[in-house]
Amino acid sequence: MLEARGLSKSYGSVPAVRNISFCLKSGQVLGYLGPNGSGKSTTVKMLIGLLEPSQGQVLYGGQDIHTDLAAYRKCLGYVPEEANLYPYLTGEEYLEMVAMLRAMPEVRKRKTIRSLLQLFSLWTHRHVTLGSYSKGMRQRIILIAALMDNPDVLILDEPLSGLDVTSALIIKNLIQALSARRKTIFYCSHILEVVEKVCSHLIILRKGQVIAQGPITEVREQIGNSSLEGVFLQLVEERDVSQVANEIVDVVVSA
Amino acid sequence: MRRATKFLRRRWSIFQRTPLGGLFGLFVGRMFHGGAEAGSESLGMGVGVLFILLAMPGLLASLLMLEEYGSLIRYMRGDGVFDPFVAALPDEYFFIVLSMFVTGVATLWRWDSLFLDRRDYMNLVPLPVSSGNIFWANFCAIVALAGCFTFVVNAVSVILFPAAVVGSQDSFLLLLRFAAGHGVAVFMASAFSFWFVFAAAGLLLVALPPAMFRRISLVARFGIAIVLLAQLGSVFTVSRFVLDPSHYRAALLPPFSFLGLARTVWGRGGEPLVAGSTKAALASLGVVILVSLGAYTLSFRKAFIRIPETPDAGPLPRAKVSFSVPGFLSTALLTPPQRACYKFVAKTLLRSEEHLQVLMGFMAVGAVAAASVLASPPGIKPVLSGDTPSVEFLSVPLILSYCLVIGIRFAFEMPVDLRANWIFRISLEHRWTEAREVSRRVLLVFSLSWLAPTCFLLTLLFWGWVAALLHTAIFILCTVALVELSLFKFRKIPFTCAYPPFKSHSGVIALGYLFGFFVFTTYISQMEYWSLLSAWRTIWFVPLFLAVVLGLRAHRKQMLDMDKQLVFEDLSATGF
Repeated sequence: MLEARGLSKSYGSVPAVRNISFCLKSGQVLGYLGPNGSGKSTTVKMLIGLLEPSQGQVLYGGQDIHTDLAAYRKCLGYVPEEANLYPYLTGEEYLEMVAMLRAMPEVRKRKTIRSLLQLFSLWTHRHVTLGSYSKGMRQRIILIAALMDNPDVLILDEPLSGLDVTSALIIKNLIQALSARRKTIFYCSHILEVVEKVCSHLIILRKGQVIAQGPITEVREQIGNSSLEGVFLQLVEERDVSQVANEIVDVVVSA
Repeated sequence: MRRATKFLRRRWSIFQRTPLGGLFGLFVGRMFHGGAEAGSESLGMGVGVLFILLAMPGLLASLLMLEEYGSLIRYMRGDGVFDPFVAALPDEYFFIVLSMFVTGVATLWRWDSLFLDRRDYMNLVPLPVSSGNIFWANFCAIVALAGCFTFVVNAVSVILFPAAVVGSQDSFLLLLRFAAGHGVAVFMASAFSFWFVFAAAGLLLVALPPAMFRRISLVARFGIAIVLLAQLGSVFTVSRFVLDPSHYRAALLPPFSFLGLARTVWGRGGEPLVAGSTKAALASLGVVILVSLGAYTLSFRKAFIRIPETPDAGPLPRAKVSFSVPGFLSTALLTPPQRACYKFVAKTLLRSEEHLQVLMGFMAVGAVAAASVLASPPGIKPVLSGDTPSVEFLSVPLILSYCLVIGIRFAFEMPVDLRANWIFRISLEHRWTEAREVSRRVLLVFSLSWLAPTCFLLTLLFWGWVAALLHTAIFILCTVALVELSLFKFRKIPFTCAYPPFKSHSGVIALGYLFGFFVFTTYISQMEYWSLLSAWRTIWFVPLFLAVVLGLRAHRKQMLDMDKQLVFEDLSATGF
């Protein structure tokens, strides 16, 4: 069980997130939504232990993650927002490095890397350097790196970024399958349709504060809107999006 | 004057607003600031710092010569009639070599940003800009860069050196004539150096496929760096010949030709070899510029216009060299994270272009220093004969080892795409203190794995078993001690940490390197020679080695735990 208790983080005097609390049980998938600059990345960094909260704590199994960060990270799989990889390593070398950093047993490491590279259609490219990979291929490498040590908690920050339709469909089904295997999944995204499809619970963030929280169906009912897009626009956007679009067209055409 | 300045400023402002002017500004910016992607951590520096670095050697050399030509000094030396155009020839030769060296090294450093690349293509070609504009804008930027380098490198010496030499002659015309000769020679020599490197890069780009170009260009840069260093290293030997026309072979050297140019301007065109060398200087500069133009034009057609037809070369092709001895990883590196970090560090050193450049730069210095030490006695024979290995022979592995270890250690501080270090941040926590172990093993494997056997075999060949064993053992002990010293206070995974504050006091660090070089290569080799005269004396190296290693270990034990923890952002007061 992953729990955030009153998480707050300020950069100097600027608050990034304020008083965020949630409890994510095994098998649950929490969708974490918010516009740019709402504090999503800061929350993710605190959840993986890269940032220490200014207030509050992150608990895993009832224990603060900072008391034994190494043990917590052994149970953690993380897909960052951007697939920043070392461009001169090959796909296979990168995964081997991650496996060694996670101290995976040698036999399991080889078997898992081989199988996952094949399943993610990267086997034929395993000796190609990552600098030559497409964005989608790099994203798949990151996903393999996050999954290969069978983590109990998965923190996914825009995992579908750059993926082709087939790969994206595989990942969506994969999340559901992992959820069925009692994995705890924190899913941070901008793509509302995917969140709606794969997540059981939802948190909507605005200016660092939670403005809606709970099971997706419940949030929809509370807001009185049938689609997640409608809920999001109603809660987060202060402007009429169609009007803004029309104004942009006016500027472009009249210029 | 003010009106002219205003006019020029207005014309410049109008030019900047044209497509050609805009592109020119863009390319000049790329050449000065480098072509690194945003967020990447290349060793970038401001234009001001770059200009100071370029001007510094000329300034220092000129200042050192202010005293040499003073009338009092000349009187005390007992010099007779003073002819500045003869007396200053060796120093003039030195300045020509220095300006060629500094300009050449600066051009080598900018090698990659001189030509248009894929990013330029993707950004500029979709815009309504003609390829002619792109071609000429980049060419103008290259010419501007050449002009800048040439001017900045020599501007100080053009004023100070003539003032030092003929300042006491009370003749302004003499000063002007001397300055004109000196200026023409050093400016032309600098320009030659710039266009020579540019032509080499252009020809390689034209002749080779993109992936091959990247690999070969590293070797080519290494070769040119060796030539420049060798020229600089031999400057004091060769400069003796400039007064002796019988050494006509020296006239084949490019700096010698540019010296002829200076002598012609000084009105000494009738002296032996001067006319020939002047012609050679002008002809070689003309040829190099013509070849550069041709290479640039062809490379624009081949490497830029056809970018969509060629696959992205990606990073440097993988090196076939491997430093992983079978079974080494599992025996020498105990934990899986240690092994992961070792592989990462070794691969980065062999594959990251930026780090290879630095390493090759240090290796080039080592190779030239070792060659000059071997060549210091008359001929190689005295170095390789005698009952015990000569001091020169003993110092060669120490020189190479020092340059290699310090080069790698310097490269460790240069981060590789800091955005990618998240994998280490989330896999290893701050309490992980094995980063130094990994770095130590990398340094030892990269230096000792080939230097120690070579050292042993060569000593065995000339002096037998005992000398070979003792020399190799001492060499290994010294290298291990050097590695320990270089990693004192080191607590990062190489390449994953932001630049340390050493950037702010790099002058002190450079002096430290230089001092260390002299101590390590000169004193140790002399001590080794003394100890090899009687084998039992070599035992002295053991307590010395233990004193260094145990002393450092004891000091580390006393350090606070927080000072040993793994860091990804170096905020400590000192980089080393």
